[in-house]
Amino acid sequence: MRIQNSLCIIRARLAAVAAVTALALFGSPAMAAAPESAPESAPATYVGEKACLQCHEPANKHFGHTLHAKVFRLNPKNDTERQVCEACHGPGSKHVSKVDDKNFIISFTREWGTPIEKQNTQCLQCHKGGQRLHWPGSTHASNKLGCSDCHNPMANASAKGLLKKASISETCYTCHQQQRAEFKKRSHMPVPEGKMSCEDCHNPHGSTTKPLLKADSVNEVCYPCHAEKRGPFLWEHAPVRENCINCHSPHGSNHDKLLVSSRPQLCQQCHSPSVGHPGQFFRNDQTAASALIGGAQSARVIGRSCQNCHTQIHGSNHPSGARFQR
Amino acid sequence: MSRLSDPSRTLGPNNLNRTGRRANMKARIRSRLKILTLCVGAAVVQLAAAAAQADTGVGVDTVLGNALNPGTGNTMRDRDPAGLSGQPQTRRTPTGQLYELPYLPVTPKATESGWTYSGSVEAGVLGGDANEKNATFRMYKDLDNGLYLNNFEVEAEKADEARFVEAVGGGVGRNDQYFGVEFGRYNDWKVEAFYNETPHVFTSTYRSLWSGLGTDNLTLNALTPGGTTSAAVTGPNIVNALAATENSELSLVRKKGGVRYDTNLSDAWKFFGSYSNEKREGARPFAAVFGGGGGGGNVEIPESIDYNTHDLLAGLRYSDSLTSLNLQVAASLFRNNIDTMTFDNPLFITTNTIAGVPATTFTQGRYDLYPDNDYYNAKGEYARALPDFYSGRFTAVASLSRLRQNDNLIPPSMYPLTGGTINGVSTADNWNTTAALSKSSADAEINIRLLDLGLALNPTDALNVKGKVRYYETKNSTEYWACNPLTGQWGRLLNDGSGGNFPIPNATAGNNPVGTLNTAYNAAGCNLAATQALGLVPSAGNGGIRNIPFDYKQFNYTLGADYRVSTASSLNATFEREEYEREYRERDKTWEDKLKLGYTNRGIEDGTVRASYERTNRRGSEYHPDPYDPFFSTSLGPLPTATGTNVASWIHIMDSFRKFDLADRDQNILNARFNYMVATDLDVGVALQYKDARYPDSAYGRNDRQKQNSLSLDLNYQPSAEVAVYGFYSYQASRMHQTGLQANACVIGTTYNFLSNGAVQTTALTAAQIAAGITIVSTTTVTAADFLAVCGAASDTSPLYPTSRTWDVTSEDRNDTLGMGLRYDFGKAKLDLNYTYSTSRTQISYGYNAAALGLTAAQEALIGSGMPDLEFKQQILDASLLVPISKAAATRLFYRYEKGTIRDWHYDGVAQNPVPATNAVYLDAGPQDYKASVVGLFLQVAF
Repeated sequence: MRIQNSLCIIRARLAAVAAVTALALFGSPAMAAAPESAPESAPATYVGEKACLQCHEPANKHFGHTLHAKVFRLNPKNDTERQVCEACHGPGSKHVSKVDDKNFIISFTREWGTPIEKQNTQCLQCHKGGQRLHWPGSTHASNKLGCSDCHNPMANASAKGLLKKASISETCYTCHQQQRAEFKKRSHMPVPEGKMSCEDCHNPHGSTTKPLLKADSVNEVCYPCHAEKRGPFLWEHAPVRENCINCHSPHGSNHDKLLVSSRPQLCQQCHSPSVGHPGQFFRNDQTAASALIGGAQSARVIGRSCQNCHTQIHGSNHPSGARFQR
Repeated sequence: MSRLSDPSRTLGPNNLNRTGRRANMKARIRSRLKILTLCVGAAVVQLAAAAAQADTGVGVDTVLGNALNPGTGNTMRDRDPAGLSGQPQTRRTPTGQLYELPYLPVTPKATESGWTYSGSVEAGVLGGDANEKNATFRMYKDLDNGLYLNNFEVEAEKADEARFVEAVGGGVGRNDQYFGVEFGRYNDWKVEAFYNETPHVFTSTYRSLWSGLGTDNLTLNALTPGGTTSAAVTGPNIVNALAATENSELSLVRKKGGVRYDTNLSDAWKFFGSYSNEKREGARPFAAVFGGGGGGGNVEIPESIDYNTHDLLAGLRYSDSLTSLNLQVAASLFRNNIDTMTFDNPLFITTNTIAGVPATTFTQGRYDLYPDNDYYNAKGEYARALPDFYSGRFTAVASLSRLRQNDNLIPPSMYPLTGGTINGVSTADNWNTTAALSKSSADAEINIRLLDLGLALNPTDALNVKGKVRYYETKNSTEYWACNPLTGQWGRLLNDGSGGNFPIPNATAGNNPVGTLNTAYNAAGCNLAATQALGLVPSAGNGGIRNIPFDYKQFNYTLGADYRVSTASSLNATFEREEYEREYRERDKTWEDKLKLGYTNRGIEDGTVRASYERTNRRGSEYHPDPYDPFFSTSLGPLPTATGTNVASWIHIMDSFRKFDLADRDQNILNARFNYMVATDLDVGVALQYKDARYPDSAYGRNDRQKQNSLSLDLNYQPSAEVAVYGFYSYQASRMHQTGLQANACVIGTTYNFLSNGAVQTTALTAAQIAAGITIVSTTTVTAADFLAVCGAASDTSPLYPTSRTWDVTSEDRNDTLGMGLRYDFGKAKLDLNYTYSTSRTQISYGYNAAALGLTAAQEALIGSGMPDLEFKQQILDASLLVPISKAAATRLFYRYEKGTIRDWHYDGVAQNPVPATNAVYLDAGPQDYKASVVGLFLQVAF
């Protein structure tokens, strides 16, 4: 193994020398390389993909099938992309000369130890802006996550996004186990069923909101799938209009309809008027089962509870719908 | 120029001459054959890009998949024992979590045209309990016994032109099917199109009395609309009809398709545009009430769903070394193809408010279902690096949105109401016309504005400071007055005419001049000022006369700092003040101060720790329990003063009640996560969250302590390419408490006696009470001068809110989730097992004073100390055994076991007792236990 590594390194150096020579004779000024015997203080220079592959062919076996490889090799648009390996890992001349020095090449694993800021800056040189415009200072950035904490661009583990796990949700679950458990509750968003992912509501790369929402407010996140509740309605329900999660738990709940609490108790946390039933004490002798053994049923307890009458609870457009009954 | 002499050139096939390319082609073919041989029986389903439409920044539809293919592709492919680096050691993320060993890549087939391709399909048959109808089993998936095309994918590429095509699909023909295609040119442009169906089964135990589910007209199958003879006769008729009715399903299916185009206009500019259309059809649980205040009768009905939503999105993105800019416009048009839904009414209705109209009139009810609405948004995001100013960065976001809805309004009733009167005014043809409305269409609109400005600076290499100001405003311009121009009557005809809420001049002697007619308000002709000028006390204070256009402004001010203590550790602190200014709510203004401290250390030997603590305090301006006077009948005239007037309706709620979204709140949130590399092939993680909120000023409403604590453990073991094991356990416990008070009464001039057992009465002690030793501990007489204070406050001596009638509820949740999985490659076969076990319990306990609430001993025996526990347990086992049968084919034996048990007291007894009282009909027996074993035999073919 030691002899093999040494041969690998020798081949890499020869390739690097060849690259440097060729560049000196034929290459562009922007790619001008310092000779191998240049002082150590001189910046590293690009050695070319072929030099990298002398030692890293196993990595190329997988990398070659990824989107980065396709882009870099088949349709690069600028000099950075044309470097292929060195587009991400930085110029490799010093790495070739001293492979064990971790300061001479950028790597994205814990073992190598390149500072997170340096890793992320390298990715962001191509990937900044757009969906990642709010990355600096975002929650994930503040927690010192590296891009490679979620992504593995060296292999196709996922269908899209070059994620480290097979899916968006599984990638998020590696840190957000609580939410994974919440999706297993009695009522939940269809994430485990493959119909939604965390990214339908959240932008993990940063947003203007603290929970990394993909829109300007909670409600504007919910409306794309629940457009019928967007209204506005003739008769509005205050907690609905302001924030869906006043009543709903966005990931999962032990209660029906992802409600944060059982009905009618949830409604009674806001409603206890002087007249009528909302402030009444609702209890176990009012179920349909209790009615069979002497209890007195209540439509506020059975089934849909308050929504047995106040069915249009998100808002009503009926001229008489102030109490959401039509 | 050969490759060797110009290594700066990319290693695409175009860089070689023809001879070289041919030689390489032969070498590649030999290599492919070798790989295929090695991959005997490997499931060669390439992980084609499942072409969903959205990116992380905008849009939904980020994943295509279903329950049997949850966006993961085929996880039974061969893994590469050499890993990514050729070293046996598996690499780790910066946090320390193991990367998965990569799949052995597939070598595509070549064609003469230069295209290379690969693909696979998996199809077979499902059996066993795949046709289980239980709603929980089928909630978001659609399985059935019989032939099943589980998934397919195709990838093709023309390397010399950098072109590609990918297509995926699965669940073909089922209600959870999905398809996606993506094509384009790498690093240039691409088009993505998708079609995705998502079922949602709400219940499978619904006994429907109607035909026409899913349409705008529900007609009774076997019952007479409007009931028969009387409610006492009609009830048993309904019971008999239900006994002959099978359970059915209420569900809907979302069918969504879309297309998106992305292109690089230049190295710095990108454009994207997309369109999607979602159709939702089906029916979901709904209900209807007749009469007013629920007194006439209620029946569960299905709501017909037939929605179309069109979404358009377009954007430009710019980025260079200093500046980033995102511009986007969006439009979303929701269309409900069922504006109104009419349903036959099986109940015999007893009306209130309206006199002279027989109960049998109300053979039908009519809903004005969700209206069409439009949403428009324009948004700009800007970021600018400031390298010469403390290495800073400036960001600005501006967004404008409009929500608009202008559906035609429907008349309050479809009935002519001939022969009827409301407070002496004929109803004949006065309520079945849009002329009865103050406007003919909704003209509802909300405008939203957002401005977000941020500046981050790095005064030193180790220190980052940032500040942000965020302004978000909604403005609701919807206005509707509930007054009938034809009659001048303020108020609302309820529930198709079976009830009403109409404020009229108060009839209690002494409130208004002698001889004041019930119709006195009507003469003002819906002119509010003229009505108020009459100076007549209204009959009640809680009749709604105007909509409430809720809107708010939100301000966030944030100051934060991040300090790098060492190469791998850092501290951060953030202070944020969040202010709300709300219109027409109990508090004009609330403000919440949030202080958050965080610590990250990735340099712990073999470990990473992340922890944060957040303390928030919310306070606000003075709390007004009743800010709603302008919208209710109390604003029509002065307060009542006459003895004998029931004034309870002038008091909205007790003054110590606090709505939780506005209430004072102190909250602590602690988050911590520790990842540890136990061994080179094993990593573990532990995460906990402690969340504790108190409502210090809330005597009633959600109050006391609200807690949610979570603990999660997980491990990941990857000893080799042949074996992988994972496991996780999550625990969550939460608590919520609330206090309520069952209102009593408040009549001017009445003396209320407060008894030693908590009861309140207006009469003297009875002999039985005296014999029981009950005494009168205090009395309160309500006067015109003090009724608002005396009855508006909850106290021991409040006639309306006596604290003896207080009740409280504590809800405590406990959730446990256990999961584990095993992947094992025997060499000639592969096994993949995944198991989850979830259990949850919600205990609802309550406290109350039975005597104060007038409850008998018999009632107390049934009431007990709480509701039966809500319980949910679910086990899911997925097992697959993959056996290769040739180089390009394999069989997969699939087994899925699901077991669910659920207890929900809302549905206790409904199946046996669907009509537990006259005119109360419940048709949904709720979620049921289930057990299902699904077996499948699939053939995987690669090409």
